[in-house]
Amino acid sequence: MNNSFWKAGHTPTLFSAFLYFDLSFMVWYLLGPLAVQIATDLDLSAQQRGIMVATPILAGALLRLLMGFLADRLSPKTAGIIGQIVVICTLLLAWQVGVNSYQHTLMLGLGLGFAGASFAVALPLASQWYPPEHQGKAMGIAGAGNSGTVLAAIFAPGLAYLFGWQNVFGLALIPLGVTLILFIMLAKNSPQRPTPKSLGDYAKALQDVDSWWFMFFYSVTFGGFIGLASALPGYFSDQYALNPVTAGYYTAACVMAGSLMRPLGGALADRIGGIRSLLFMYGIAAICIAVVGFNLPNSYAALAFFVTAMLGLGAGNGAVFQLVPQRFFREIGVMTGLIGMAGGVGGFILAAGLGAIKQHTGDYQLGLWLFASLGILALLGLYNVKRRWRTTWGASGATAARI
Amino acid sequence: MTLKLSICEATDKGPRAQNQDAVRVVTPAPLLAASKGHLLAVADGVSHCQDGGLAANATLQALALDYYSTPETWTIPHALDKLLTAHNRWLRVNGGGQPLLTTLTALVLRGERYTLAHIGDCRAYLLRDGKLRNLTSEHVWEQPGMEHVLKRALGLDEHLLMDYIEGELRAHDQLLIVSDGVWASLKDSEIHGILHEQPFEQACPVLLERTYRAGSQDNASALLVRVDALPESSLSGALAPLDERALPPQLKTGQPFEGWEVVNVRAESRQSLLYRVRDPLQQTWLLKTLPASLQDDQQARQALVLEEWFMRRVAGAFTPELHPLPQRRHLYYVMREYAGVTLEEQRRQLGLLSIPAWRALAAQMVKAVGKLHQRNLIHRDIKPENLHQGEDGQLRVLDFGLTFCPGLTQQETGRAPGTPSYRAPEALRGAEPHPQQDIYSTGVTLYFLLTGHYPYGEVEAFQRPRFGKPIPASRYRPDVPPWIDTMLLRAVAAEPKERFETAEEWLLELAKGENQPLHSCHEPLLKRDPLRFWRYVALTSLALNLLLVVQLLTH
Repeated sequence: MNNSFWKAGHTPTLFSAFLYFDLSFMVWYLLGPLAVQIATDLDLSAQQRGIMVATPILAGALLRLLMGFLADRLSPKTAGIIGQIVVICTLLLAWQVGVNSYQHTLMLGLGLGFAGASFAVALPLASQWYPPEHQGKAMGIAGAGNSGTVLAAIFAPGLAYLFGWQNVFGLALIPLGVTLILFIMLAKNSPQRPTPKSLGDYAKALQDVDSWWFMFFYSVTFGGFIGLASALPGYFSDQYALNPVTAGYYTAACVMAGSLMRPLGGALADRIGGIRSLLFMYGIAAICIAVVGFNLPNSYAALAFFVTAMLGLGAGNGAVFQLVPQRFFREIGVMTGLIGMAGGVGGFILAAGLGAIKQHTGDYQLGLWLFASLGILALLGLYNVKRRWRTTWGASGATAARI
Repeated sequence: MTLKLSICEATDKGPRAQNQDAVRVVTPAPLLAASKGHLLAVADGVSHCQDGGLAANATLQALALDYYSTPETWTIPHALDKLLTAHNRWLRVNGGGQPLLTTLTALVLRGERYTLAHIGDCRAYLLRDGKLRNLTSEHVWEQPGMEHVLKRALGLDEHLLMDYIEGELRAHDQLLIVSDGVWASLKDSEIHGILHEQPFEQACPVLLERTYRAGSQDNASALLVRVDALPESSLSGALAPLDERALPPQLKTGQPFEGWEVVNVRAESRQSLLYRVRDPLQQTWLLKTLPASLQDDQQARQALVLEEWFMRRVAGAFTPELHPLPQRRHLYYVMREYAGVTLEEQRRQLGLLSIPAWRALAAQMVKAVGKLHQRNLIHRDIKPENLHQGEDGQLRVLDFGLTFCPGLTQQETGRAPGTPSYRAPEALRGAEPHPQQDIYSTGVTLYFLLTGHYPYGEVEAFQRPRFGKPIPASRYRPDVPPWIDTMLLRAVAAEPKERFETAEEWLLELAKGENQPLHSCHEPLLKRDPLRFWRYVALTSLALNLLLVVQLLTH
C-alpha cells in the first residue's frame, strides 16, 4: 500500500467506519450462535428458531434502504449515530427486560436489523473521502468489517455458556459503547458528497437485466453465507446432537472460512475473471451442499463439506463485488444498495426456509438440495451473462472495490 | 466554446527596395479550425538567392493551401512535414538553376495546444504570466562574421530538417513571431517592454517602428497572436454542439422518414440501433442511430457523430460507403448495406478457414488496418464481428465507435475500451492507444479464425489477466505451416516491442510467405538441430554402455 493512499483520504474516518461496520456485523449475527440455547430455553420449534435467526437478516436487508436514505439526506455520520443508538437501546432492553418469548426474539431481531444496515452507512462514509483511484482500497478496508460475524461466532456461545445467553447482550454493549464514542469523536463527513439518490435511479438501474442477475448471484453467495451461518448451529445440534458450544465452534469454523475467502475471491476474480471464478465457486458450493444433503453419518465429514461450501460462497461474495463496481460504475451507489438487499433477502429465505422444511419434513435434506439447485440455477445464469459480455465495452472510470 | 484568438501583424520593407518577408494568417471555418487548427506563419526570403520574395510568398501560399488539404486525422507535424518536404523540392528546382531560399516559422493553434514548425532565423516567443520566453533557436553559423549565414533553410538542402515544438496553450498566452530584422535590433527586454506597454493592436507596428529607429537595414515583420479563450472540449465538442439534432423517433416498417423508407430493424443493442432502409431507387442502406435509452447521454451522442466523421475521413474500398445525407435533420447516419456476412457469422456457419482462404483474408485484413493507420486512426475494436466479408469479395471494416485519433480524440480516463479478448495487454494496463494495439487485435482475430481459440485463452470483461506465452496456432491446427505459426506469434506478442511495428511490415512478411510451401513438411531433428540430434545419440549410447557395464559387473 503506497503513501498516497494514506494521504488521500481521511484515515480516522476510515478506521471508525471499519470499527462501526465490524461490530455492527457482530451483533447483527449475534442470534445465530445463540440460537440453540435460546430455542431450548424458550421452547421454540425448528421453524420458529429458523425465523428467529432469519429476522435480523431480513430486517437488515430492508433497513439498508432506510439507512441509505438517511445517510443521503442527513449525513452518513448522523445516520451512523442513529443506527448505533437504536442497536444499543435494543440490546439494553433485551438485557434488562429480558427476552421471554418468541415474539420478543422477533422484536430483538428487528432492532438488530439496524446493525445489519450499517453497510449502507459505513461504506459511503469512508469511500466518499477518497478519490476514484483509491476508492477500491477504501471500500475494501471498510468492508473488511464483514469479519465481525466471526467474532460473534467464536465468542457468543462460550460467553453464553459462562454467563447465560441473556447476559451476552449486556456484554456486547461494552464494545458497542466504545465504538459509538470513537465514532462520534473520529468520524467526519466528507466535504464532497454525491447528490442524493432518487427512486427513479433505482427504477432505472433495475431496467438492466444484468442488475437482476447480480442481485440473484449475490442472494445465493451472500445469502448462502449468512443464511448457513445462522442455521448451522441448529443444524449441528439437531443432526449430530452436539452441545451448543461445540455447535458454535463448528459454525465459527464455517463463518471464518467464508469471511477470510472474501478478499481472496476478489483477487482471484481480478486475475482469472469474475465470471470464471464464480462458475467455479458456485460449482464447489452446490456440490458440497448437495453432498451434505445426503445426511452424512459423521459430523466431521459434514463440517468439512460445509467449510468447503463456505469457502466457495465467501470467495463468491468477493468475486461478485469485484464485478459490480466495474459493471455498474455509473450506478454504483444504487446498485450496492440493491445487491446488498438481495443478499439479505436470500439469507432470510435460506435461514427461515431451512427451519420451516425441517419442521415439516423432519429433515434438512430437501432444504439443502433446494439450495444446491439454486447454485445450479446461478451457474446457468452465469453462462448467459458470459455470453452477453463477449462484446465491446466502452471506457469506464472503473475502480476495483472489494467489499 | 471554440478557441478564440486576437491577431495583430505588421511587415515593412524598411530601407530596402523590396520586402522579401511574408506574413500569412489563416483562420478557417469553425469545423476545420477544430480539426486542423489556425495557421499563422512568417517567412523571410533570403536576399542573396534568386528571388527571396518569391520563395517566401510561394512558401506561405503553399502552406496555407496544402495544409488544409491534408487528411484531417493526421497529426500536425506529420501533415506539415509532408507538405514542406514536397515544397522544399519545388523550391530547389524552380529557381532557374539556383535554389530559392527562405526561412519559415509557422504556428498552428488547435484545441488546447500549439505546434511550431521552424527553420531558419526567425524567432517565436511565448509571453505567459508576464514572462517572455524564446521558443526557437536560429539555424545560423556561430563563427564571427557568419552570424547571418543560414545553416538550414527551405530550399537549401535536399533533406529538409524542420524543428517541431509543441506545447499546451493557456488563456491569455501571447505568441509572437518576428523576423531576424526585429530581434537583431531589439533586445528581448525591449520586445517584452513593448508587448507590455502597448495596446494589443498597436504592438506589431510599434515593434517595427522601434526596429527602424534602432537603425535596422533589413526587412522586418512581426506577427502576434493572443489566446482570448480556450475551447472547452476537443473535436467531439466542436462536431456535436449540445443543442444538436434529436434522435429519430421509433421507426416502423414501411414508414417514410426523411426520404427513406424503413424496411425493418436490423439490429438493436445497448449502444446502437440499426434500421434497414430503402432509398427511392430501391437500394437498401443501413441507418444507424442511438436507442431511446441513450437519448440524454451526451457522450454516446458525441461518439456517434465522431464515428461518422471518422468513417468519412477514411472512405475507401475497405469501409462501408456513407450516404451524403443532404436533408438530414435528426441524429443518425446512413451507410450502404452490402450482401455478405461478418467474419464471425461466417465462422459460425462454415467453421474454421482453410489455410489458402485464411491467407487471402489475412492480406486483405492487414492491408485494411494499415490503411486506417496511414490516416493516423486507431480502430481499437478489430474483431471478427466488426469485419465484413462482402459477396463482392471485399473485406470491410465496420464499427468506428471506438476509433481513436491521436491529437484529435481526447483520451478517456479509466480502462481502455474494446472487446476484452482482443485488447492488447498494454492497452489493458492503460497505455495510450497505439497502432500496434490494432495489430495485436488483428493478430488475435486471424488466430481465432484459424483455430477457434484465443492465443492467451479467453479474457473476460473486468479481468486483469497475466499474459504468459501464447499458444502456437499449430497446437490446434497441425496443418498450419511454421511460417504462419511464427508470424501469428509475432503479431500477438504480449510485448509491443516484439510485435510487428506497422501493418506494412506485416504485409511484407505475408508476401514473403507466399513463396513458402503451403504444407508444413516435418523436418527431422537431424536437419533442424544437428547438435541436439548427435547429443541425444551420444547420451543414448552412453546410457547403453553404462547398462552394459552394470550387467557385466553383476554377473
